[in-house]
Amino acid sequence: MPTTAAAKPVNGHNQGIFHNTTGFSTLITVTVLTLAWLAGFASRLFAVIRFESIIHEFDPWFNYRSTAYMVEHGFYNFLNWFDERAWYPLGRIVGGTVYPGLMLTSGTIHWLLHALNIPIHIRDICVFLAPVFSGLTAIATYLLTSELWSRGAGLFAACFIAIVPGYSSRSVAGSYDNEGIAIFALQFTYYLWLKSVKSGSVFWSICTALSYFYMVSAWGGYVFIINLIPLHVFVLLIMGRFSQRLFVSYTVFYIIGLVFSMQIPFVGFQPIRTSEHMAASGVFALLMVVGALKYLHSLNPKGEWKQLLVLGTLVAAGAVFLAVVALTYMGVIAPWSGRFYSLWDTGYAKIHIPIIASVSEHQPTTWSSFFFDLHVLVCTFPVGLWYCIKNINDERVFVALYAISAVYFAGVMVRLMLTLTPVVCVLSGIAFSIILELVLREDDPTQAPVETEESKNLYDKAGKVKKRAPEPVQTQDQGLGLYARPGTVIAFMILLMLFSVHCTWATSNAYSSPSIVLASYGNDGSRRILDDFREAYGWLSQNTAEDARIMSWWDYGYQIAGMGNRTTLVDNNTWNNSHIALVGKAMASNESAAYEIMSMLDVDYVLVIFGGAIGYSGDDINKFIWMVRIAEGEHPKDIHEADYFTERGEYRIDAEGSKTMLNCLMYKLSYYRYDSGGSPPGYDRTRNAMPGNRGFKLTYLEESYTTEHWLVRIYRVKKRDEFNRPRVPISKRTISTSNSISKKTSKRRKGLLKNKPTVVKGKKMRLE
Amino acid sequence: MKLYIILGLLSCVSLAHSYQETLVLVDNLNIKETHSQFFKSLQERGYTLTYKLADDANLVLSKYGEYLYKNLIIFSPTVVEFGGQIDTEAITKFIDDGGNLLVAGNSAASDVYREIATECGFEMDEESASVIDHFNFDSLDDGDHTRIVVSPKNLINAPTIVGTQNTKPLLFEGTGLILDKENALVLPLLTADSTAYSYNPKSQVKEYPHAVGRKTVLIAALQARNNARIVFSGSLFFFSDEAFNAPVTKVHGDKIKSDKSGNKDLATNLSEWAFGERGQIRVRRVHHHRQGDKESSDTYTITDTVVYRIEIEELKNGKWQSFEANDVQLEFVCIDPFIRTTLLKKPNGVYEAIFKVPDVWGVYKFKVNYDRIGYTRLYHSTQVSVRPLQHTQYERFIPSAYPYYVSAFSMMGGVFLFSIVFLYYKEDTPKSKSE
Repeated sequence: MPTTAAAKPVNGHNQGIFHNTTGFSTLITVTVLTLAWLAGFASRLFAVIRFESIIHEFDPWFNYRSTAYMVEHGFYNFLNWFDERAWYPLGRIVGGTVYPGLMLTSGTIHWLLHALNIPIHIRDICVFLAPVFSGLTAIATYLLTSELWSRGAGLFAACFIAIVPGYSSRSVAGSYDNEGIAIFALQFTYYLWLKSVKSGSVFWSICTALSYFYMVSAWGGYVFIINLIPLHVFVLLIMGRFSQRLFVSYTVFYIIGLVFSMQIPFVGFQPIRTSEHMAASGVFALLMVVGALKYLHSLNPKGEWKQLLVLGTLVAAGAVFLAVVALTYMGVIAPWSGRFYSLWDTGYAKIHIPIIASVSEHQPTTWSSFFFDLHVLVCTFPVGLWYCIKNINDERVFVALYAISAVYFAGVMVRLMLTLTPVVCVLSGIAFSIILELVLREDDPTQAPVETEESKNLYDKAGKVKKRAPEPVQTQDQGLGLYARPGTVIAFMILLMLFSVHCTWATSNAYSSPSIVLASYGNDGSRRILDDFREAYGWLSQNTAEDARIMSWWDYGYQIAGMGNRTTLVDNNTWNNSHIALVGKAMASNESAAYEIMSMLDVDYVLVIFGGAIGYSGDDINKFIWMVRIAEGEHPKDIHEADYFTERGEYRIDAEGSKTMLNCLMYKLSYYRYDSGGSPPGYDRTRNAMPGNRGFKLTYLEESYTTEHWLVRIYRVKKRDEFNRPRVPISKRTISTSNSISKKTSKRRKGLLKNKPTVVKGKKMRLE
Repeated sequence: MKLYIILGLLSCVSLAHSYQETLVLVDNLNIKETHSQFFKSLQERGYTLTYKLADDANLVLSKYGEYLYKNLIIFSPTVVEFGGQIDTEAITKFIDDGGNLLVAGNSAASDVYREIATECGFEMDEESASVIDHFNFDSLDDGDHTRIVVSPKNLINAPTIVGTQNTKPLLFEGTGLILDKENALVLPLLTADSTAYSYNPKSQVKEYPHAVGRKTVLIAALQARNNARIVFSGSLFFFSDEAFNAPVTKVHGDKIKSDKSGNKDLATNLSEWAFGERGQIRVRRVHHHRQGDKESSDTYTITDTVVYRIEIEELKNGKWQSFEANDVQLEFVCIDPFIRTTLLKKPNGVYEAIFKVPDVWGVYKFKVNYDRIGYTRLYHSTQVSVRPLQHTQYERFIPSAYPYYVSAFSMMGGVFLFSIVFLYYKEDTPKSKSE
C-alpha cells in the first residue's frame, strides 16, 4: 500500500518538473501504472493470506463450476451444456443462460499457460483473475481520464481505482464473478467511445463495438453502456453539437455492436425486442434523421432551413418515441423487466417481485456506505464534475452524464455502487490533478505557461470552444497565498494517505471474507475458523447417493452444486420464481404439507443454515420471512405472511411467536434437538431468545448431519416405504387397550395365556 | 468342483426351505387337531410348519439378524403375552422386514391381538364382543346368533386374493374388525351383512356397538408398502375342521343351504395369497431408446421419438412367468405427467410404448406404477434428461430467410462492383475543369 501513496506525489510533481521530457514522463507513467497494478493486486490478496486460495461466496461457485466444465469438456460442449443437476426437475441450459465472457477469459488464460507448459490449476486462475483484472481496469481508467483531462489526472484516477474499496469489494482474490472483468470492459469501452467521438474514425468505433462485445459477453451490466452512449449522443444533439464525427462513430458502433451483442446466446434477440435496448435504436433513428436534415441544410445553407431543421428533429424525435410506445403496446417489444422497473420505482420490487427485493445487494444504499466505499473521493468527485461541466466539450458531456446516472443508480441499489466507483475515481483524479496543478505551478512561475500549453494539447483536440477554458484557472491560482500552498499540499497528502489507509483497512476487514469460511475472534484476540459450510458440503459429497436431490433455500444452491456436487432444486440463478416459491412454501408449511411438496419434487435431503448457536445472523430463520413472502406471491391461498407474525406484528421465535411460525418446517428443522448456544441450553444467540417450541419430534424427516457449530443442518426425507404400515394412531382408536406391563424378565421368558390348563403331575390333562 | 455343486444344491434347498418355513403359534397343541385340514393343505403345498405354544419361553423369530421364518400364523386367541422374544414390536418388525402374517382370533382374544391389529391399520372389537346377526345365523347356532352365515357376495371383488369359485356360504364365529375409512392400504376381505353388529352376546345392548352392519369387517387384509401381507380374521373357528365340514343352513330369510361351507376354499385361497403364492409380480427388465437407435440412452432431445419397453413377470405355480394385463400405464413425468399412456401388450410379458418426447426440456422420469388390489405394488421409475437442441441441430437454411440472404449477397456484390467502378473509372475531370 505505501507504494501507491508514495507514487501519487511523484505523479503530481511530474506535471510540473518533467513536463518537457516526454521519455521521462512516459517512464513515470509506466512506473506509476505498474505500481498501481501491483498495489491493487496486493491489496486484494488479504483473502488468500487470511484464509486460503478458495472461491468465495455464492455466484463465484457457479462460475467456477462452469469454467471447470468448459476447460474439461471444451467450449462447444459448454455452450450446449444442459445441467440436469440444477433446478431439478426443470434443469438449466447453462450455455444459453450465462454470460460466457468470464469463463472464456479464464479458459483462454488456462489454455495459454498450458500451451507454455505452465501447469496451473484452473481454480488458481479463477481465484486470481479479478485481482489481475483490477490492474487492467486501472490502465483503462488511466486512458479514459487522460482522454478527458490530462495524463496526470489519469494517473491519479488509475491509483484510485486500483485500491478503492467500492471496486475491490467485488474483485478480491477468490471473488470470481462477472463484475471482476466487467468493470475493465466498461471502462475500456468508454475510453474507446470517447476516442471514436473525438476522432470520428470508423476504426475506433469498431474497436468500441468489439470492446462492447466483450462487455456483453461478460456482464448483464452492458445495458448501462447501451443506454449511456445513446444518452450521450442524444444530449449532444440537444446541445446542438451534432457533427460528422458523432454521426460516424455512433452509427458504426451501434450497428456493429448490435450484431455482435446478438451473438451471445443469453442475449439473443433482446437488443431488438426489449425496452431496455430501445433507447439505442431510437437515438440511431433520430441521428439518421438529423444527419439527413443536416445534409439537406448543407445543400442550401440559405433560406429557412434552420427552423425546418429544428422542427424536423422534434417531429422525428416524437415519431420515434411514439413508434416505440406503439410497438411496446402491441407487444412486439417486451416492456421493462422487473429488475429495471425497480430502478425507477424503488418500491416496485417490494410489492411485485419479492425475490428481487429479498437480495441484500438490491437494497437501497445508505449514506455511510457511500463514504465507506469511496472515502474522500465522494467529497472530491463533485469538484471534478464541476470542472468538467465548466470546461465542457463532447467528451466531458459524456462523463457528466455517466456521473449523474451512476450516482442515481448507486443510490437505488447497493450493488450498483460498483458502476459509480469508476466514474468517481475518474472525476476525483481530475479534481486532485487540478488542485495539485494549481498549488504546485507557482513554484516555477516561468514554466507555467508552457505547462498550460502542454495540458491544453492533451485535451484540446476536439473543440474550439474551450480555448477560453484554461485561462480562468490561471487567473484563479494567482490569488493563492504563498503560505497557503504548502499547507494545502500537506493537507491533501494527508487526505490521500488517510484514503489509502482506509482502503487497505476496508478491503482487508470488510471485503476479504470468503463467507464460506467464517472467522470469529475470541476475547484474547485469537482467531477461530468456523468451517461448517465446507464440512457440511463435504459430508454431502461423501455420504449421499450420487443423484441425491438436496432442497435448500436458493442462496446455497450454487455452493451445494459446486462443493457438494449434488442436485439442487433452486439456486442463485433465480430464473424461475414459481419453483423458488414452491421451495419457500415447503419451508413455510407444516411438516405433513411440506412432505407432500417434497415428495412431489423427489427431495432426498433438506439443508438449512442455523446460526443460533454461534450468533451468525445470515441464517435461514432470519431470511425466512422472504421465503414466506415469495411463497405467498405464488400461493396466496396457502401461505399468509401475517400468520408468521405475532398479533402485535412482531417476528418472534420464542414462546410468544405465532403458532404457524413455531410449527413450520423451517422452524422445526432449525431448532430440532437444539441444546447448545449458551447458558440455558437451547438459547438462540442470534435472536436472543429461547425457542418457543422445543422437544418436538419429526415425523417425515430424520436428522442426518449437523456440523460442529450447528451452522448447517442436513435432514433426510423419509421415503414412503418407511411408513410401511398404516398404524392407527392412539388418538384415533375407538377401542381402548389396557397398557399392560410385561411380566417377562430376563430370566423368565415365558409368556402368559388366559385360562391355561394347569398341568398337575400324575393327572391326565383334560382337553377342552 | 463336485463339492461346489453339492454346496450350491444345498444352499438352493435351504433357500427354498426357508422360503416355506412357517411358525404357527397356538394356545394349545390341540388346535393342531381341530384345524388339521387347514394345516394339511398348507403342508401339501410345501410349507414346513413349526408349532409352538404362544407362551413358550424360547420363542424366537430371528437369529443373528436372519429370520428363521418367512410366514407367521397366530392361532392363539387367549394369549395375554407371548413368550420368548416375541411381542408386538417383534411382530411389527417382522412385517416391516417383509414377513407375512396370518392371524385369527375370537371373542376371547386379548389386547395383544388388538395391538397387532392397530399396528396394521385396523381395530378389533372389545374383548368378549362377537359378531351377532339375528337374521343370518346357522341352524347349528347355540342361541346367541353368533355362528353366522355369510354370503360369498360379501367378499371383496379381488379374485387374486379370494379366488374365483366362491359360491358356497361361509360360516363365521368371532369378533368384528373396524377399518379406518381413510386408510387406502387396508382391504375388507369379508364383511358382515347389514343386519349384523358386534357386541357382547351375553349382555344387553346399552351403548351403540362399535361395528354395525356392513361396516363390520370379518376378515381384513393389508398389503404393506414393502409388500408384506397380513390377513387378519376375527374368527379362529373359520379355519377349523368343524367349519370346513359343517353343512350350512340358514334359519331366516332366503333359504341358503349347502352340504358343505365354503370356508375351506376361501381359507386355502387366503393362505395362498397371504404367503405370496399368488399375486406376485415384478419387473424383469426395462429398456428405453430413441426410435431407430439400438443403444439405450439417458439423454433425449426434445421431440425425439422414444421407445419404452418393460417386461413384467408373475409368479405362477412357483415359477416366474410372463404377466398378462391390458391396463399397465406409463407416465412421463416432470413434476406433472406430460404423457400418460397405456402400454401396448407384446408377447412374453413385454409392454411397449412409443411416444414423442414433449417440447419442454427438463429432467423426466419414466414411471410405471401398477397398483392393483391383490397384486404386489409394481413401481418402476427411470430418470432421463430431455435437453434442448444443440447449436448444430437447428435448421440452417430456413425459407423465410432467403430474402435476407439475397439482400446480403446482392449488397456484397453491389459494393464490390461499386468499388471497382470507383477505383478504375476515370472521369475526365481535368477536361471539365479546363472547360
